[in-house]
Amino acid sequence: MIVPLEHIIALAAILFSLGLVCTLVWRSNVIMLLIGIEIMLNAAMLVFVGGSSKWGMPDGQVFALMIMAMTSAEVSLALALVVYLHRRRNTVDVDEFRELRD
Amino acid sequence: MWMNSGSSGTEMKLCLELIILLPLLGAIANLLLGGRLLPRRAGEVLACVAIWGSFVATLAAATAYSAPVTVEIASWLAVFDFKAPLSLYLDPLSLSLCLMITFVCGLIHIYAVEYMKDDPSYVRFFALLNLFVAAMLTLVLAENLPLLYLGWEGVGFCSYALIGFWYKDPKNATAGRKAFIVTRIGDIGLGIAIVWLFQLCGTVSILQINRMGTLLPMSVITALGLLMLLAAMGKSAQVPLMVWLPDAMAGPTPVSAQIHAATMVTAGVYLLMRMFPLIGASATVTAAIAVTGALTAFYGASCALAQRDLKRILAFSTISQIGYMMLGVGAGGITAATFHLLEHAFFKALLFLGAGCVITAMHHEQDIFRMGGLRRRLPATFWPFLGGALCLAGVPLTGGFFSKDGILGAVWLKGGALYSGLYVVGLITAFITAVYTTRMLLIVFEGEETDHCRGGSCARPDEEGHPQGAPLPRVMTITLIPLALLAIFGGLLNLPDYLGGGLLNTFLSHPGSQEQQLTHSSELLLQGLAAVVALGGMGAGWLRYGGLRRQLRLAEAQLPARGLTAFLMEGWRVDALYGLLFVRPYVRLSDFLWQKLDEGCIDDSLDRMAHLLGRCGQWLGGWGQGRVSLSLISMAAGAALLIGWFAWSLL
Repeated sequence: MIVPLEHIIALAAILFSLGLVCTLVWRSNVIMLLIGIEIMLNAAMLVFVGGSSKWGMPDGQVFALMIMAMTSAEVSLALALVVYLHRRRNTVDVDEFRELRD
Repeated sequence: MWMNSGSSGTEMKLCLELIILLPLLGAIANLLLGGRLLPRRAGEVLACVAIWGSFVATLAAATAYSAPVTVEIASWLAVFDFKAPLSLYLDPLSLSLCLMITFVCGLIHIYAVEYMKDDPSYVRFFALLNLFVAAMLTLVLAENLPLLYLGWEGVGFCSYALIGFWYKDPKNATAGRKAFIVTRIGDIGLGIAIVWLFQLCGTVSILQINRMGTLLPMSVITALGLLMLLAAMGKSAQVPLMVWLPDAMAGPTPVSAQIHAATMVTAGVYLLMRMFPLIGASATVTAAIAVTGALTAFYGASCALAQRDLKRILAFSTISQIGYMMLGVGAGGITAATFHLLEHAFFKALLFLGAGCVITAMHHEQDIFRMGGLRRRLPATFWPFLGGALCLAGVPLTGGFFSKDGILGAVWLKGGALYSGLYVVGLITAFITAVYTTRMLLIVFEGEETDHCRGGSCARPDEEGHPQGAPLPRVMTITLIPLALLAIFGGLLNLPDYLGGGLLNTFLSHPGSQEQQLTHSSELLLQGLAAVVALGGMGAGWLRYGGLRRQLRLAEAQLPARGLTAFLMEGWRVDALYGLLFVRPYVRLSDFLWQKLDEGCIDDSLDRMAHLLGRCGQWLGGWGQGRVSLSLISMAAGAALLIGWFAWSLL
């Protein structure tokens, strides 16, 4: 293996924290929140693939494929929700949606 | 079976292929091209030419015919050892039926062109009519049971679609559905019988199955015979599945003539004749067939006695006459039953087409008590109609007399307490038949013209000349003439033995069959008795409806029917009985399943579950701030705490 596992994990950690920060900080846009989630998922995938490559097990790659399929479904659904929310409230600010409380 | 070798074999194969293919192609061509690409006249001509071409092919097959042949056209179903090729079988029975079907249907097609000339959906009509003929010919010519079943279901479907042809009136659509569902009950019997026969014999070829009959245990043959009888009951409108036929008169009159008189309803009888070498071995089955037939004959005749609607009279008489055929089959008189089948096709098609003329002239009035004096108005309809009616009544020397007598003779010959009783029932039915035929003739054609008729200017060419007032198209009355000739002189086809023997008899009887013959003196005696009964029935009819008494009956008919008349008019109230026994419980059950089980139980529980979950969500939501970002931060902080604790414990 050319790239050591530690490097991969470090990269994944950086990606994950970037995604997390994006999710926590960028509140004014739901789409940025979704992108943040995607980045975190990608970081997790990277760890799976790296681990699978390190120990020569296919499970991790299978997991990566599963995550891809799941993500594509999730994104299509979430974007549809965003479009719907924007039509209803004319905003994409995350904190505007607080019906669960009221 | 063996096939003629050489050129005559291939010629025969071509003929048999054409017999079925021509009507089928006619139907397909009419469906694909009709309406847009073909002018109306061309579509009509196409439909007629297809049938007459099929008739010519049948004639060619008849001239080339020397012995029973089997022709395999193509393979159709073949899975492991199950094989049902498209193979046709021509023997005297199927040949005579094919000749009759193509000829009668050809005439009806020509008639239909005029009858339906104002109808916009003629494409559908002629395509279905052609398809029907193709299906019927498949049924008759089929050499194996699955192919026969294909034709069987094909005619069932066409019948359904044509009864409900004017489907915009819900009544007609309901009648079509009723016919479909009731005949389906019988079809279950045929379906089970076919599968069972394959399981027993390992083949579905009718010829092979009939030869294997002796190898099967008698109880199995009895069960198979009863299953096929069930199928025949549905298709041929026999008691207790006869309720669909009177309602089937909702279709256009040519359809009634073609399907519900001449051809389709005889399919059940044909099935029993075809399988008779197998099922005839069981005395229980033949007795059941005979009893069903006699009961149906009596039922139909008694109901026809009280009907007011011209077409319903004819429908009940069809039920009754097919009952006779079943009786003949049950008594083992296959030839007699075939003869009556052919003869009945001629005179019943004639009567229906005549009724169509009358109804057209009366502007779609079907109540016979509003008709009258049509003998002078519609002579071209009256005389052929009279011929058909005389045949139906069984007046001596008409074809109907000889054929009905052949059946009664076969029943008499069988002897024994049961068949003697059935013979008496047959004679009583013949008497009633003569009475209701006379009633129909006298009320429709005799007496004074009614106001309805005069106001409508039936068949008067000199009044204004708008389309309704126009005289009947010549074509419609001309088609009646060949049918009338065949009906009246059809007796020549099968003369009794003392007059030199019958053509059909020698043609249909094959060496293996042992149909007994009556002695000449007893046959003469039986025919004399039948003649006396028929003439007596006509006399009784005259006494009740003839001359001045006709007015009395007309006045009586103004009052609502009561007692026995109402009972007979509603067909022994069988419809009401079935409604009570089957339809209403079924509707109740459906209502229960729909409102209580589906909407009340399943839908409601799901709704409640969703409601519950919603409430839980609300309750949980009350804990938080409802701000997404805050939740996210708390989640991240919680996750960080957990991970930190794990890391610390690892260290």
